[in-house]
Amino acid sequence: MLPNRAAVEGAADQMALAEVKGRSLWADARIRFFRNRAAVISLIMLGLVAAFALFGGMLAQYEPDFVNFSLIGSNAYLGVPSIETGHYFGTDSNGRDLFARTVMGTGISLMVGVVGALVAVIVGTLYGATAGYYGGRVDGAMMRIVDVLMSIPFMFVLILMLVIFGRSIFMLFLGIGLISWLDMARIARGQTLTIKNKEFVEVAVATGVRPSKIILRHIVPNLLGIVIVYATLLVPNMIIFESFISFLGLGVQEPATSLGALINEGSRTMQFGFMWQISFPLFFFVVTIFAFFFVGDGLRDALDPKDR
Amino acid sequence: MTFRSRLLITTSVVLIATSGMLSANTHPVTGETLAADQSFTYRVGDESPSIDPGLVEDTDGADVVRDLFEGLYNQDATGNLVPGVALSHDVSDDGLIYTFNLRENAKWSNGDPVTAGDFVYAWQRAASPELASPYSWYIDLMSIENSGAVIAGDMEPSELGVTAIDDLTLEVRLSQPLPYFPQMLTHGTTFPVHQATVEEHGSNWVLPANMVSNGAYVLTEFVPQERLVRTRNPLYWDNENTIIETVTKLVITDENVALTRYLAGELDRTDVPAGQFPRLSAEFPDQAVSVPEACSYYYMFNLRDGAPEELQNPDVRKALSLAVDRDIIVENVLAAGQKAAYTFTHWAVAGFETPDIPMASMTQEERNAMAQELLAGAGYGPDNPLSIDLVYNTDDGHRAVAIAISQMWKQTLGVDTLLSNQEWQTFLDARQNGDFDVARGGWCADYNEASTFLDLMQSQSGYNDSKYNNPEVDALLAEARTSDNPQANYDRVEEFIAQDTPIIPIYHYAADDMFAENLEGWPYENFEQQWYSKDLYKVAE
Amino acid sequence: MLSFVIRRLAVAIPTLLILVVLSFILMYAAPGGPFNSERPLPPEVLANIEAKYGLDQPFWRQIVNYVVSVVTQFDFGPSFQYKDRSVNDVIAQGFPVTLTYGFWSFVVAVTVGVSLGVAAAIKQNSWIDYFAVGVSIGAQVLPNFVMAPILLLIFTLWLGWLPGGGWNGGQWQFLIMPVIALSTSYMASIARITRSSMLEVLNTNFIRTAIAKGLPMRRVIWRHAMKPTILPVLSYLGPAFVGMITGSVIIDVFFSTGGIGQFFVNSAFNRDYSVIMGITILVGTLTILFNLVVDILYAWIDPKIRY
Repeated sequence: MLPNRAAVEGAADQMALAEVKGRSLWADARIRFFRNRAAVISLIMLGLVAAFALFGGMLAQYEPDFVNFSLIGSNAYLGVPSIETGHYFGTDSNGRDLFARTVMGTGISLMVGVVGALVAVIVGTLYGATAGYYGGRVDGAMMRIVDVLMSIPFMFVLILMLVIFGRSIFMLFLGIGLISWLDMARIARGQTLTIKNKEFVEVAVATGVRPSKIILRHIVPNLLGIVIVYATLLVPNMIIFESFISFLGLGVQEPATSLGALINEGSRTMQFGFMWQISFPLFFFVVTIFAFFFVGDGLRDALDPKDR
Repeated sequence: MTFRSRLLITTSVVLIATSGMLSANTHPVTGETLAADQSFTYRVGDESPSIDPGLVEDTDGADVVRDLFEGLYNQDATGNLVPGVALSHDVSDDGLIYTFNLRENAKWSNGDPVTAGDFVYAWQRAASPELASPYSWYIDLMSIENSGAVIAGDMEPSELGVTAIDDLTLEVRLSQPLPYFPQMLTHGTTFPVHQATVEEHGSNWVLPANMVSNGAYVLTEFVPQERLVRTRNPLYWDNENTIIETVTKLVITDENVALTRYLAGELDRTDVPAGQFPRLSAEFPDQAVSVPEACSYYYMFNLRDGAPEELQNPDVRKALSLAVDRDIIVENVLAAGQKAAYTFTHWAVAGFETPDIPMASMTQEERNAMAQELLAGAGYGPDNPLSIDLVYNTDDGHRAVAIAISQMWKQTLGVDTLLSNQEWQTFLDARQNGDFDVARGGWCADYNEASTFLDLMQSQSGYNDSKYNNPEVDALLAEARTSDNPQANYDRVEEFIAQDTPIIPIYHYAADDMFAENLEGWPYENFEQQWYSKDLYKVAE
Repeated sequence: MLSFVIRRLAVAIPTLLILVVLSFILMYAAPGGPFNSERPLPPEVLANIEAKYGLDQPFWRQIVNYVVSVVTQFDFGPSFQYKDRSVNDVIAQGFPVTLTYGFWSFVVAVTVGVSLGVAAAIKQNSWIDYFAVGVSIGAQVLPNFVMAPILLLIFTLWLGWLPGGGWNGGQWQFLIMPVIALSTSYMASIARITRSSMLEVLNTNFIRTAIAKGLPMRRVIWRHAMKPTILPVLSYLGPAFVGMITGSVIIDVFFSTGGIGQFFVNSAFNRDYSVIMGITILVGTLTILFNLVVDILYAWIDPKIRY
């Protein structure tokens, strides 16, 4: 850890030197971020998890869908984690290599989480900020649309979407992203209602700046703090959400898998003593979520424009 | 100290028990000492659509109905008929008219006598378009005179071929002789209902406050999706031989949760979760029970016009069937008393001798070699790999089987399988409309005879989802219906199935349950799994 | 304010209508049907059933009939799946259950979540902060379909303290595990939002001024900082409440509580159109009402907001 820390501090010092020439909000934020030890460690952890998802497959001794018939069902207790057999994380209850499957699941979960959260945050923030800024009828109409969409129980929409259009990862992204932007829109709108009464917005309006520019330049940056906190809550929520869909039997198709699906399967066998089947996926799950939270917090502290 | 106080408590319990009900303390037949607590609690996976005898459609609901109501006959522990409301019956020489003699002492739970008129009303009601029962076809299946016309609404329900000669004599007229007609009378659809109650309360008559029933138990509590409680009916004619006081059905969706609650002592009966039978039977040998269940598990090929070309070649289908190592499926994947299947008909069906199918006596190595040869002969190999869509419905067990079989095909034959699990309604839709290459199927016997399975292979059968069409099979099955000894025909049909491979028989089901150690009287030998709470009892430990 | 509430309620009616039509269309677009089964029914039997439930009518007619019977008689029709019961029965039985454990989960989530968040923000970077953040993340990390069986194993199987499920009229023993399992992830979210919001507020000039003036910290927090802090939390409560109602399916599955969540999911899988509609309308109405309450609270706390 020590060399790392020194390197981080060194980097921070260099940036501090650069500041002299007048620093932007973002450069400033970067420096503050790298001073936050928990956030930096978490960022490294996230990098490691991502590397595991990308390159872990090279270490695996088996394909993720290869079934070892001597290790299934009644013989599942033989599928313990072992270096010798090449099943580093043991096998799942269907006799497949859990290491290879965890690599696969981590990748898919990260993808679902990040892409889903991005869609939700971008759509939701713009939508909510617009509604909140214009206020009045526009706000009323836009938020009623959100109300209508929110009043449709989301599970039903997803179940129907997955049922009607067939099941694919793409549909999953789309469905999750489309459903979760609603929350973001409400939050962004609520914040915008407060921000738009602030002087700098009123000045911008008075000087005739275009509304789209006001929203993008003045309102959205001021929303960033809450948006980022929300987004970091959203990524793990997306991952949990995906696992809930797996739990309903509508998740990614076999033989593909996600961390949620692996945990779900593992939770079914934990009472029978196959603890490794839940431990390994759950470990990566927990690390990923912890890391996202701390990175998000670090970003929040770093981006807080009022801290100057 | 603890020991002594416990001893005192036990003694006092025994004292209370012995002084209170000396006679009820031992089983009247076996003489076993009975437990003080005679309540039976069991788990089901889902709420039943209905517990109205006229509407009941699932087995869990039928279990409830058999406790609450009593039909003309009951089944004993081995499945033989024993008197219910009817004491006996006479059949006319042409086999078309059945006359049932009812017992005098049968009563409804409000004290009214159970009469032949109650049966007439119930059967007319079950067939009526007004009730629109999804099980009205059962009345038609019983071949009761005019049943088809009544169901279709062309005749009044009063014209159904069932009449009360007097209060204790019921006459039933059939449209064709049906040797197993009396056996059909243990099904809930044929049970009586209390006309005044039904007419007074409408569909609310099944609520605990309203229901009037004639079985060994009455409904005392019903919270859908949570619990259903029934307690002993003191007016039941055989009440003195009933031992279990209350029966509670709990809806517990997750089978692992149910097992946890069973192990915590909350349940007396629950299902064994998929794949856990070996472990549980090693740990609890007296509690984990596996008995044959009258269902077959198979994969069907899509043989419709316009279905993928490659599967229209019987050699390809046969190769895929040969490459499925059933022993791994039944011994490793499921491992709960199922049997490897090379025939469609369940091995335990009454009067059925499993014919010798060549594949059954080969070793798996021989089968694999033959499969590779057949597939190569059909022109598929590493350069031209076969690729198939396998459709199954969402379920841990089906998934495990599908994963194993897709890997057997891949490892043995180099076939790529695209797994696709669908939720139930979508799955049914896909299967019935031919939207698959290979689909999972499971078929359970309607009655205990081989034709209940083999009739699915008939080209005109509504349940023949692979659309297998072989005129010879149709002819053999038609002939079997009137034949005195249909076994030869069944052998031939099974040989055709093995040869043409419209389906891949995989295994024959077994039912695995955990039963509380002190629960006795469960009819393990009853192949149709018809149990009555009044036959159960708990012994003292 | 009153005119605002009336306006919102007036909009609620077309909102619900759109919801009804949309759900109807989605439902009918899904493959399968309520009376489709592994053994297809004979056509005449199916015809009887469809006539009984009015499914033989044209599509628009079904919608009109449905809306009329709901509006005039408050009758949501018979359940297609549970043939002994009407949708009103299903809701009357399942909804109070969901509402009871939902309400307690909500109370727990909000009180514990806000307290944790405030404590963490005031003592930023202290052990209290790390503890609060750790607890809230820990609570969120464990999916409730993992937490539920773990709770069952611990409290029912090993310790034998609590019954492993059921409802039994809502006795407290039956409430504990559902409330824990349902509230934790929302509690965690609320704690995090509160913490971040409170930190932001504590950095604003007016709070800094208040502190600089030498006002006692407790007073600053309660009198000045609490109101603006709670705003983002309020925004979150609407969705959280609805999430609890729909997310209750996991509670119903694991604790066999017989609530509305499981009815909903089952009816979606069984294509029990009338129950889907009934529950959709119920949850829709609740969402609208709850969002309205949140908006009113919002305006009440922050007078600068104009409607």
